[in-house]
Amino acid sequence: MMILRGALAAAMVLCGIVILARMLEAIRAGAAILPGIVLGAALIALGAHRLSLIWRVRRTS
Amino acid sequence: MAAPAKPAEPELRRSVTPWGSFAWGYSDVGADIFVGLGLVLAVAAGASNVAFLFAGVVYVCIGLAYTELAATYPVAGGGQYFVMRGIGDIFGFIAGWAVLLDFTIDVTLFAWSSVDYTSQLIPALVNSVHPWLHFIVVLGLVLGLCLLNVIGVRESTAFNGFVSALDVMSETAILCLGFLFAFRPQLLIHAMQFDWPSPYQLMLGTSLAIVSFVGLESISQAAQETQRPASVIPRTSVALILTILIFALAYSNLALGLHPWHPIVGPHGHPMQFWQIFPNNADNQGKAVALLAAQVPYYGAFAALYVPVLGAVLLLISSNSGVFGSSRIAYAMSTSKLLPSIFQRVHATFRTPVISIVFFSTIALVELIFAAAPSLFPAADALYARFFRGESGLDFLADLYAFGAATSYSFVFLGLIGLRLSDPLSPRKFKIPLNLPVMWRGERAEFPIVAVIGFIGIFSILLFTLRTHPLGRIFGPSWLLVGIVLYLIYRRHRGLPLFRSQPRNWKKEQIDILRRSGELELMDEYVANLKASEARRNASAAPP
Repeated sequence: MMILRGALAAAMVLCGIVILARMLEAIRAGAAILPGIVLGAALIALGAHRLSLIWRVRRTS
Repeated sequence: MAAPAKPAEPELRRSVTPWGSFAWGYSDVGADIFVGLGLVLAVAAGASNVAFLFAGVVYVCIGLAYTELAATYPVAGGGQYFVMRGIGDIFGFIAGWAVLLDFTIDVTLFAWSSVDYTSQLIPALVNSVHPWLHFIVVLGLVLGLCLLNVIGVRESTAFNGFVSALDVMSETAILCLGFLFAFRPQLLIHAMQFDWPSPYQLMLGTSLAIVSFVGLESISQAAQETQRPASVIPRTSVALILTILIFALAYSNLALGLHPWHPIVGPHGHPMQFWQIFPNNADNQGKAVALLAAQVPYYGAFAALYVPVLGAVLLLISSNSGVFGSSRIAYAMSTSKLLPSIFQRVHATFRTPVISIVFFSTIALVELIFAAAPSLFPAADALYARFFRGESGLDFLADLYAFGAATSYSFVFLGLIGLRLSDPLSPRKFKIPLNLPVMWRGERAEFPIVAVIGFIGIFSILLFTLRTHPLGRIFGPSWLLVGIVLYLIYRRHRGLPLFRSQPRNWKKEQIDILRRSGELELMDEYVANLKASEARRNASAAPP
């Protein structure tokens, strides 16, 4: 279960990176890409947050 | 002979696990996007994602503030308790009274929207086609929830957890498959460039977008019943805040850039973008997520069947949390002598706060009648069109919801700043980042810069609400005014200070809160901080 959760969290980080990269490709659109940038950053943050929790649980158990 | 020992007051059992705590918050806040998406797309058009972004950033600040406060003071009172403790009784009352407005709206708004989602499968319930049937079903739901709460039947934490898990999986699937198969970035850019709204519409959209992020009171309510809240609440809250933010931003971006699975044509046969089905169509606004899910290629055929049901159930849980939450907040306010003790009275048989439940459910019914009147009576429709720019139904409820939330959250930021300065000795296991060290009344405190940013953001949303919502700017302040008058009458009658706070021993109370929540290490740390502070004061007062 822990491995599955870890994989999901890693997938979230990956999705965030992909969204950020795609938004940066369209940087010429200006402010229009801002919500997408925040979405990507939030996905990376959530994935990293979950990975850190999993890491903490594994270290203590 | 020794006097018999006073029996201990009953306490809430601390049985909520980390997942239970997340599910509690999610079933409350997670349902909001089902209501908010359609409303925002209808008015903010090509800038819907920007409206969600602005409201989302403010929401993150509010979420962090609630997380810090709920972890430091794990009591069920929520916003009103933090504000009362941070800046005084009357402000605590105003914050709590605004939250009570939100909870009563919550009951009606989510019951209304739950019926809208059901109408996707049962067309007879469409409001514009059969307004009386729609009204009667919503009325029945509100009365049913009131009755269930009076007799003390609540959905179980396990049921909440199950529905939340199902919804997180469902929304993730919709968004992933939607972005994979139906998202066209060119459509998004096109909508943002050619359908950018006027500043007025953008303000209106932003004030409605905050509707998608209301319900953070549940974090503090869960804190009272969570095991080791100071450790658990920050973990679950951060995950909850980010999950909700991601869903809101992802839905708004997907809706603007969605290439519909089945072509959508307008009244003159012209092809339309997906988001264009929302302006001037209240029926569609009420079930936006179900409509979007049905337009995801392949998966939409399946999603069209279950998303309306899942949405209706989640919205009904959220509506129930309004009935339950209002009675609990009223109970907490009554305990703090902000409301009359009648709100503490419990039913002899069912052991539930029956007066609170019936009182606030009645207010919810009055709001329902105001919201439904234009669709039921043509005369009311003309009246609303003349004086309130035709706002009714979901718009009316969302107006008041945004007003109540913006008001109470503004005070919560002030409460946080007040508590950081007046109570620097309480151990904070979670602290909002970006703090400025200051000396305040001889103690070293940390001034939260994020709270100032959040306050400016939420206060501007409050101003947007007052500027753009003709009904909200009349009914919202009227609600507060009536509440303040009743508060002053009550305080005068009880011989309590009207504008000042009644004296309380916060230090003793804090030790008690930490002991009851099982945070014994934090309690020891707090006692040590108090002793060290006293020693410092004695040393500085002693002659050289």
